[in-house]
Amino acid sequence: MSFNKRLVACAAAVAALSMGLAGCGSSANDSSGSSDGVVNITYMHRLPDSEGMTLVNDIVAKWNKEHPDIQVKATKFDGKASDMIKKLETDVKSGEAPDLAQVGYAELPEVFTKGMLQDVTQYAEQYKDHFASGPYSLTQVDGKSYGLPQDTGPLVYFYNKAEFAKLGIDSVPQSADEFIDAAKKAAASGKYIMSYQPDEAGNMISGLAGASGGWYKVKGDAWVVDTETDGSKAVADFYQQLLDAKAATTNPRWDPSFDASIKDGSLIGTVAAAWEAPLFVTSSGGTGSGDWQVAQLGDWFGNAGKTGPDGGSAVAVLKSSKHPKEAMEFLDWFNTQVPDLVSQGLVPAATTEDAETPSEWGEFFGGQDIMKEFKDANNNMGDFTYMPGFSAVVAKMNETAAKATDGSGKVEDIFSDAQTTSVDTLKNLGLSVAK
Amino acid sequence: MTATTHTAKTPSAGRAGRPKRSDAAKRENRTGWAFMAPFGILFALVFILPIIWAIYSSFFRQVTVGGGAYGGGELVNKFVGLQNFRYVVTSPAFWAGTGRVLLYTLIQVPVMIISALVLAMLLDSFIVRHVTGFRLGYFLPYAIPGVVASIIWVFLYNGQISPIVKALAAIGIQVDFFADNIVIASMANITTWTFTGYNMLIFLAALQAIPHDLYEAARIDGANGLQIAWHIKLPNVRAAALLAMLLSIVGTIQLFNEPQVMAISDPGISKSYTPMMMALNTSQGTLTPGGDGPASAIAIVMALIAGVLAAVYALVERKVNEQ
Repeated sequence: MSFNKRLVACAAAVAALSMGLAGCGSSANDSSGSSDGVVNITYMHRLPDSEGMTLVNDIVAKWNKEHPDIQVKATKFDGKASDMIKKLETDVKSGEAPDLAQVGYAELPEVFTKGMLQDVTQYAEQYKDHFASGPYSLTQVDGKSYGLPQDTGPLVYFYNKAEFAKLGIDSVPQSADEFIDAAKKAAASGKYIMSYQPDEAGNMISGLAGASGGWYKVKGDAWVVDTETDGSKAVADFYQQLLDAKAATTNPRWDPSFDASIKDGSLIGTVAAAWEAPLFVTSSGGTGSGDWQVAQLGDWFGNAGKTGPDGGSAVAVLKSSKHPKEAMEFLDWFNTQVPDLVSQGLVPAATTEDAETPSEWGEFFGGQDIMKEFKDANNNMGDFTYMPGFSAVVAKMNETAAKATDGSGKVEDIFSDAQTTSVDTLKNLGLSVAK
Repeated sequence: MTATTHTAKTPSAGRAGRPKRSDAAKRENRTGWAFMAPFGILFALVFILPIIWAIYSSFFRQVTVGGGAYGGGELVNKFVGLQNFRYVVTSPAFWAGTGRVLLYTLIQVPVMIISALVLAMLLDSFIVRHVTGFRLGYFLPYAIPGVVASIIWVFLYNGQISPIVKALAAIGIQVDFFADNIVIASMANITTWTFTGYNMLIFLAALQAIPHDLYEAARIDGANGLQIAWHIKLPNVRAAALLAMLLSIVGTIQLFNEPQVMAISDPGISKSYTPMMMALNTSQGTLTPGGDGPASAIAIVMALIAGVLAAVYALVERKVNEQ
């Protein structure tokens, strides 16, 4: 029984242990392996990848087949955007992050400020013409590009035309007063033509208010914050009246009760982002299939029916990527695979090809060309600049929005809380705020 | 006293037979450490090291220094001394969250422990047949991961799809399990449902360790079942009860799963509803000031509070035992 033998056994045990540990670390990025001329690119996304869609892996497989020297591996992150950002933040620090990652427009400035993005302006310029200018500018911070736009999230109005007709509402009411009257009339017979979604307030209500004018402006090197704009007041007033009259549902968007309200036919109309179209198809379980339609927002918020952004994502090049040029080459190709992206429920930001309404949606939306409505909405969208740290503002807005559902708060409180949280967040990040 | 005499003995014994015994002792030592190693290495890696790292990072804040509106695209760790701790200690949201979990602990833990004790007593008595089936049945909820249990209960609480809510409505009782004052009780119910069986098992083990001679002696003295339970069984599970209480207090202080999952259905459950949620959301930047520094400070302050509470509870328990 020599000492050496024991040492070997001990070393083997330690090695086995550390192998187990190493297993957790080096998952995402193997892009250094370019010895044989092959560049490996990793891409992390949060696309739905549901049944009936063209799967991301299948799209990527097409690329890999045509480009033997740039091999891409896509991974889906199952979880919330905030969880994914936290993961990427630590991964960037340890150099394990993927080359490309999906980042919402609202989070892009925040992710930039956290030091996670790589300046790819020199590669982005040549692809500029492939994308609509609005979304393209949302992938930029301070005039520099950090990725390419993938989709947009214009807010539109989804409604059940047949149910509207039954209630004697001939068309989507175009003014705020008409809408509220119609909502009251519908509520009297147990139907709702609007949903108030506290858990989406930060994204949706900021978009609706932002349609009338942005909240955040940069003056010199300082932020000018005004979340209590006339647009915000109009939105607050509109929803407050609906809540006071109990003429809107208050189910949170991601709670099973929201889907239930569509299934049981009580919710027959609501504002929603364009990317929610396929979700409506599945959530409804077939209720009202063929009768649902998409329309532009009416002039409900005193801005002649302008719309705002809710969601929409870029794909950004992360700081730790060693092959930004190849990553951007793939990204331009991927983000212009219009029909494939449409199948994922996206309204592509690419202008290289006309997006067509997938035939699977035709049945549910009564054959309407809803992609055209989304494109119209896109063209009618106000500019909205997001501030770094916006996710803290979203969280606070949602919390405050929930208080308005049981009467312990008002809808307008959402905007006053947004103001204080915005200013606090910027200051805590060490950024200057103009008075 | 005993400690000093003990250490005084060892060196003298070593001196007596140095050449032989120290070799053997050394080898034994090495073997001991080798057996300790798998635990020791993992314990250091996943426990000690992160704690040291958390304490270290709690003295830093993640801020921009690059200037401009976007801060130059880099966050740096800035040493801020005790500023993070000052923030935590003066944060109304933190104390509101702490108050919430303390209230929760105060109500939920006694309810759970008493029900566990009653169940254990019943199973240990002669009233119940098929003990194994009952034991398994009560313990089963514990086998379901906390998050999954919370999701199941969210469905059962949901006003529009819950059979419970519908049944209650049918007999004229309208309940909203997510109403402001009720939601915390709804969470407590999930915890109780999950852990009562687990605690019952601890009690049952303690009960079954009681020598049966005691029961026979008591019966000969004319004691009935209740008297046996009160005078023999209860005093004998005291140690188990202390353990169960302590584990439960430490567990509920860290309340996280239930509110985190229920927030999907009730967005009014804030990002700082409990200190643990506040720590997570601070690290993700959905609360401001965000980042690992302030988040670590929250976790450390909370650990101190939990430690103090556990110590106070143990002291009180000892005092009560002495009397």
